[in-house]
Amino acid sequence: MKEKALTKVFQFSSSASLEKLTGQRALNLRGLLDLIKTCSDSAIFYHTFSAFLKLREAQVPYNSDFAVWVSRSLNEKALAEKLMAIDLSEYNAIKNLRSRLIEVIQSYAEENSPVFQKHANEPFYLHDVMRVVYLTDKFAYDLLSFRDLLSTVSIYSIYYHFIESRLNTQLQTDDFSAWIEKSLGLPELAKIIRKIDLSVYTLEGLRARMIQLIDEYRENSNPERRQSRERADD
Amino acid sequence: MTEPSLWDYREVVGPNIIEELTILASHVGNRSIKMINSTAVGGGVAEMLHRMVPLLNEMGISTEWQVIQGADEFYEITKEFHNALQGKEMRFEKAALDTYLAYNEKNHALMDFDQDLVVVHDPQPAALIHWEKKRKNRWVWRCHIDLSHPNPQLWGFLKPYIEKYDAAIFSSALFSPELSVPQYRFYPAIDPLDEKNKELDETYVTRIFEKYGIPRDKPIVTQISRYDPWKDPVGVVRAFKMARKYVDCNLLLVGDKAADDPEAEKVLAEVKAEAGDAPDIHILMFSPSIASEINAFQRGSDVILQKSIKEGFALTVSEALWKRRAVIGGAVGGIPAQIIHGHTGILVHSVEGASLAIRSLLNQPGFARRLGSTGHQRVKDEFLITKNLKRYLLLLLALDKPRDETIFLYQ
Repeated sequence: MKEKALTKVFQFSSSASLEKLTGQRALNLRGLLDLIKTCSDSAIFYHTFSAFLKLREAQVPYNSDFAVWVSRSLNEKALAEKLMAIDLSEYNAIKNLRSRLIEVIQSYAEENSPVFQKHANEPFYLHDVMRVVYLTDKFAYDLLSFRDLLSTVSIYSIYYHFIESRLNTQLQTDDFSAWIEKSLGLPELAKIIRKIDLSVYTLEGLRARMIQLIDEYRENSNPERRQSRERADD
Repeated sequence: MTEPSLWDYREVVGPNIIEELTILASHVGNRSIKMINSTAVGGGVAEMLHRMVPLLNEMGISTEWQVIQGADEFYEITKEFHNALQGKEMRFEKAALDTYLAYNEKNHALMDFDQDLVVVHDPQPAALIHWEKKRKNRWVWRCHIDLSHPNPQLWGFLKPYIEKYDAAIFSSALFSPELSVPQYRFYPAIDPLDEKNKELDETYVTRIFEKYGIPRDKPIVTQISRYDPWKDPVGVVRAFKMARKYVDCNLLLVGDKAADDPEAEKVLAEVKAEAGDAPDIHILMFSPSIASEINAFQRGSDVILQKSIKEGFALTVSEALWKRRAVIGGAVGGIPAQIIHGHTGILVHSVEGASLAIRSLLNQPGFARRLGSTGHQRVKDEFLITKNLKRYLLLLLALDKPRDETIFLYQ
């Protein structure tokens, strides 16, 4: 994708996924490792970044299908925690994420050699995904219109801009904070949004948290409002 | 009754979902689809096509549906195909396979395939593609059945035909074999606006329970499923009897029966024998049931069971979750895709497990409500007809660029 120039107007995009099946499955950790080594980039994407689109309440604390399977079907809790500790927001290329997953599993298996022979309760089914990214008709012109749209755009839009797009932009950041910093000139707010911990939120939770942070920022940056609140507190 | 339009779904799924469908449809443009299956009425596939076809047309995708023709000998063979693909051990004579191919060839000669996309449902018409030698359009095989343990002889015969398609669609990863063509996952879906799932007045629900003499003085535990050994209705009665020692409740069993189904009569007799003359066990059998009454039974129940021991997808689970009911399901087939244990319902593996789950849910109404509410959201995300409309739009885009991992629609 061509990198788009950051302009003052923010047009919300959204993405849609069509899940693919592969007929491939793993019955133990060695099988999983082989799948991770050989599968497509989009399959890695599906089982990690796309996990945010699944029922997050049921996945928490795990942030990837790999971690969920290792914990629930292989009952290797320590490895699941190590996989969970891979912070997806630090990755803007699947190649690096794949290497990290391989490294974590291999190093765990070296320390716990029988683990490769252990049979899982349920197979790990390798999926893949085809994604479509498209523009919506929602435009933000300033912080206020952005905040208002944030409460009405679909969760797929939130997901795209906050989680998925970094793979397209190759940036180490989400689209929202990049726009807030570069186009609105609000680096402090951008920094606050960038620090949101992805691992603890559902997409709806992420939406609510961003709105809350923007409201707090607007409140604190408006001297009149701040003074009147301080008076009320007194 | 007028069929609901796409617009009517806004209220149910939210305006964003419909807006995004419209945007995707605008990128797909004027396309045409032909759906082909083997029956116009009865069964989940025909039921789904009756709703999907008009909605696809409304989105600008010119969609038609054609049913293949066959005599009894053809349907007898394809019924055996169905059983064998789901794992039944049997052997097919060459003559039977030749008959199957002859009917496919005859149907091919009677049909046209001018559409951009031809979607062939299930094994009955799967070989049609063989006679479409110089096609320029896309063909996709949509398999609605469980192919996880197919009869090797039959799968060996059918697989080369399936691999002539541009892609195949399965309902779950559990059912997906290794194939040389791309495979997509389309979950089966329910229609939130049809008679079986639409909102009902409480007065109607009360009237239906009164009509059949089902008291509502105690919590009601219900299973709505055919009287079929794989649905384990006898196990449901046993689980209920174990739970009843701890919680006061009624059991309602509702089942459909085809006109000539001796096996259902046999299972029903076993269920009645297990139930004895217990006044709190209510057994109903319909032929056929009325969709709005099934809806009322689901909405009037406190806990719904689908205690299957072998299953296809079991959309009855999604129907119950959509109504925010607490659901207990056997951990088989497509049920674990719908019930995420402890979040959208309870998965069980035995009569004892089902009994404990009944006690747990009836003693903790807050927990049961939470499961129902999260289950409703899960169905909204994955198992509604609007999601399948989106999948068809995405499929049309994907078939244009089968090698692309991401398609950017920025023009």
